[in-house]
Amino acid sequence: MSITRRVFLKGGALAVVGTSVVPSFLTRAVYAAETATAGTSKKRLVVLFQRGAADGLNIVVPHGESAYYSMRPSIAIPRPKGSEGCIDLDGFFGLHPSMTAFKPLWDAKHLAIVHAAGSPDTTRSHFDAQDYMESGTPGVKSTEDGWLNRAIGGIKEKDASPFRAVAMGGALPRTLAGTIPAVAMGNIREFAVGGRSPGAGATAASNSFEAMYEQSVDTVLHGTGNETFEAVKMLKSADPEKYTPAAGANYPRGRFGDSLRQVAQLVKANLGVEVAFADIGGWDHHVNEGSVQGQIANITRDFSQSIAAFWTDLGDLAEDTVIVTMSEFGRTARENGNRGTDHGHANVMFVLGGPVKGGRMYGRWPGLQQEHLYEGRDLAITTDFRQVLSEAVYGHLGNKDTSKVFPGFDKGSPKDFLKYLG
Amino acid sequence: MSATRKLLFLAVILALVASAGWLMAGDSPSKNPSAPMDENKKILHALNRFTFGPRPGDVAKVRAMGLDKWFDQQLHPERMDSSAVDARLAPFLTLKMSPREMVANFPPPQVLRMVENGRVAMPSDPGKRAIYESRIVAYNQQQAAKKDEAAGTPQNPQNPRAKAGKKANGNGDDAAMMADTPAENLTPEQLKERQKQQESAMYADIGAVQLLDLSPEDRYQRIIKMSPRERLSLGRSIQGDKVLQLVDGMKPEQRETVQAIVQPQAVVGGELAQAKLLRAIYSDRQLEEVMTDFWYNHFNIFIGKGPDRYMITAYERDVIRPHVLGKFKDLLSATAHSPAMLFYLDNWQSVGPNSALAKFGPEGARMADGGFMSPFDRRRQQQAKQQQQQAKNRPSGLNENYAREIMELHTLGVDGGYTQKDVTELAKVLTGWTIDNPQIGGPAAYRERAHEPGKKYVLGHEIAEQGQAEGAQMLDILAHHPSTAKFVCKKLAMRFVSDNPPQSLVDRMADTFMKKDGDIREVLLTLFHSPEFWAADAYRAKVKTPLEFVASSARAAGVDVQNALPLVQTLNRMGMPLYGMQPPTGYSTKSDAWVNSSALLTRMNFALQLGSGRLPGTTPNPQALLHGSSPQDSGAALAALEGEILSGDVSAQTHAVIQKQLNDPEVMQRKPDDPGRTPNYGAIAGLIMGSPEFQRR
Repeated sequence: MSITRRVFLKGGALAVVGTSVVPSFLTRAVYAAETATAGTSKKRLVVLFQRGAADGLNIVVPHGESAYYSMRPSIAIPRPKGSEGCIDLDGFFGLHPSMTAFKPLWDAKHLAIVHAAGSPDTTRSHFDAQDYMESGTPGVKSTEDGWLNRAIGGIKEKDASPFRAVAMGGALPRTLAGTIPAVAMGNIREFAVGGRSPGAGATAASNSFEAMYEQSVDTVLHGTGNETFEAVKMLKSADPEKYTPAAGANYPRGRFGDSLRQVAQLVKANLGVEVAFADIGGWDHHVNEGSVQGQIANITRDFSQSIAAFWTDLGDLAEDTVIVTMSEFGRTARENGNRGTDHGHANVMFVLGGPVKGGRMYGRWPGLQQEHLYEGRDLAITTDFRQVLSEAVYGHLGNKDTSKVFPGFDKGSPKDFLKYLG
Repeated sequence: MSATRKLLFLAVILALVASAGWLMAGDSPSKNPSAPMDENKKILHALNRFTFGPRPGDVAKVRAMGLDKWFDQQLHPERMDSSAVDARLAPFLTLKMSPREMVANFPPPQVLRMVENGRVAMPSDPGKRAIYESRIVAYNQQQAAKKDEAAGTPQNPQNPRAKAGKKANGNGDDAAMMADTPAENLTPEQLKERQKQQESAMYADIGAVQLLDLSPEDRYQRIIKMSPRERLSLGRSIQGDKVLQLVDGMKPEQRETVQAIVQPQAVVGGELAQAKLLRAIYSDRQLEEVMTDFWYNHFNIFIGKGPDRYMITAYERDVIRPHVLGKFKDLLSATAHSPAMLFYLDNWQSVGPNSALAKFGPEGARMADGGFMSPFDRRRQQQAKQQQQQAKNRPSGLNENYAREIMELHTLGVDGGYTQKDVTELAKVLTGWTIDNPQIGGPAAYRERAHEPGKKYVLGHEIAEQGQAEGAQMLDILAHHPSTAKFVCKKLAMRFVSDNPPQSLVDRMADTFMKKDGDIREVLLTLFHSPEFWAADAYRAKVKTPLEFVASSARAAGVDVQNALPLVQTLNRMGMPLYGMQPPTGYSTKSDAWVNSSALLTRMNFALQLGSGRLPGTTPNPQALLHGSSPQDSGAALAALEGEILSGDVSAQTHAVIQKQLNDPEVMQRKPDDPGRTPNYGAIAGLIMGSPEFQRR
């Protein structure tokens, strides 16, 4: 094995790190960079959370349901008609008209949609429902880690990259909490001691902090400190300053677009990203939700354009990438007294990816007739969100032990998959 | 130096000597985690928990006074002088304004439209006039941009960013309210280009550099005399730190006027956030500040939701602050009666499905009031009602949002034993609790016409029909519910003791809560006198939140904050924007929410900046930090700084690491062969504040 020689050849990148001892993760990264070009790059799972309970019924519209229109007199999305109304998908469902960016992905059969999916827990508390979905254990509050951390926890790696699990944002999301080190970052450019423009003394200060945290007996801070400094060095060697998105990848301005642009940046820098997490808030439309225009239109546009740009930006790497979206619960089938919707139950999930058999709807549609509604008010759940995620964990990430990822869930094995993966 | 200060100084030196001793002993923590702390640790512990962190000299001061007496003083903030911090807050005029005054001073689009339509007169004061004129031009540009955008097809590839950056924050009015801040992000490319050209032309004319060179008064007059368009362009071209330069030295009114022109959203929220930090750093009434933060967070309101921007200053000042050490029921009731809360959680729009308002519209039949009507009249009334309903965007049904959160987050807790049925019934009870003209900062109001008639059943109680009194009755039931006592006391224990507080402690506090009618002062006294609070394993058990970290750093370093905005921005970067938590849950006080790579780096960077004086608006004050001493030997400097910032309780590792750095010229900014220069106290202080120890309290 000639890793040493290869590292030597890549000395230009290593020189930036400025340490005399080559850290093990770096040799691995350099090695990975070489093997990646030979076509054996990693599978990746990107998880996107719509916080605030997105209104799935106005995102993927059941325009073939007359009940939908009678229950939502002021906020329903009109049936597809020429270039107006929702964007028809299969004669029964349609995308919200501001989600034009998703149509080409659907047509190219990369985008699959699972409707009436969600968490079986009955809570209508944002906080609890998000917590359950992120822990992957609905109804169990004592779970300490997140499902996505467990998903890669089953795949043992020696000298794993500190960027195996990344989250965009100032705080590490519950989904990624756990024993596998995960990196949270608000902004790639500021991810170093000294920040964006390190002055004199930044390196020495960085070394000091590194030593303090490395030797600290404070277990919480010790662990995070180590992860942090390993990641800082690695990121520096990848030189993300020089990044420009691929042609045609037009990220909308805003936090969500920024997050996805930076995830793409990390993935393309070959830092060994296996799972990534980003979220988008602002879906809690109790008042004046809007229809073709308005709040729901603005946010679905941001959402879909950001994801489409991310997809374009990944280029060939999209082949090995699966993106899955979720939201803590859906919203009431009926609009409320304020032209908005209250907290409901089932929702819609998008699955996008190279290996995804897209261009079709998955899951069973329960209908919106009064007798089919959950508790007489909400879309019923016919697909547990864990079924969707189990398939991605099992089929894409290759972790076959889904019972550890979703403890207590008995539909996480292949016989219960929707079979959206090829 | 006054006599008292001399005494203080002596006491500190004594404390330092003493602490050096227990540092050695304290390095290996007591084997029994529930054994009590020693006296020094006790003082430090109390300061860390009931204040935003000790300032230089605080430990000695508390020791001299006695812990019990000190705590009693903190429990009675009204007995303490606040003139020093009041002086620091004096320039922030919005802190004393009512929502209506704020709306008048920093007009939202609704008010601008009224002025344009001639329904409200243009103000005659030149400053106010300048604000209104500029904002009207900005508003019209916005509307024109929206029209342009609407004219283009949605698929227009030239215009992919049209609306994407716009925030959608749970209320339709937000689009308009928010529109005037990040406007540039939203306008189509063409318009942007045109504006750019205008700007560069204008820029050449006035020369912003020249403007910044003028005296404050001349600068102000020059800005007021510009055309509204020029002023707007100025606002667009001057960003970031330059805005501070632009208003530097102006009188508070002038500063607010200029800020209202260039950064209209920043005035109210900016002053409020700065005031919060300045109080946390400088107020002697520390427990009052800690509790104000705690209760605001408990009854959280997001500044970005429509007119809440204009309401939360009054909300914190008049609703939260007066009750932070009082009775829980008063706090709950005050929040329920506040327009800020009624707007934030949508209750102001909630209408009983069978109320007169839902059935007959705003001015419909008197039938609900007992009048008689023929079937014919009724049918006509019905038709009129339907027409009205279609014509007007009028709320006509229940909104459960507030009813749910009041039980889940404010009182019982999510496991407090309520059902979806209870939520719906409580929502009915609270119908009619609304706001008069929220968009112009109107007050809370009760509107019988929107109230759901009939009996309600909540939590096993039958609530007889009695209008607004039903709500009062339910608030009383909720405030005195055993689940509320448990939930609130656990949250307090999590804030003051540990992420997983001992059940025995929570039970004892809840017991006091129930026996003393929810008296918060009594509950805190129970906490203070509980062995669990003083147990060894509670010492430094809490990781600081970003707010606690930033405030405690500024306090420990004894810095002088002339401008708190950079501190406010630091908190944004750390993921804890003040008043900026969108969901009603408020911020977590648990460590897992705040310990991650990104946050840790931001903390270290902030510590270095603060220590070395590179943080704008903040000046290090080694005199305050070291009580006028200036150790020449770097080893002595390190010991003194450890003594002040960590009260001497530093780990051997951290001490060794910094000790090793002392001779690094890069860190210490001096040549090894030039021992004459004083050690770089700032660099050392920065390293101490970035250490693992200082992340805990």
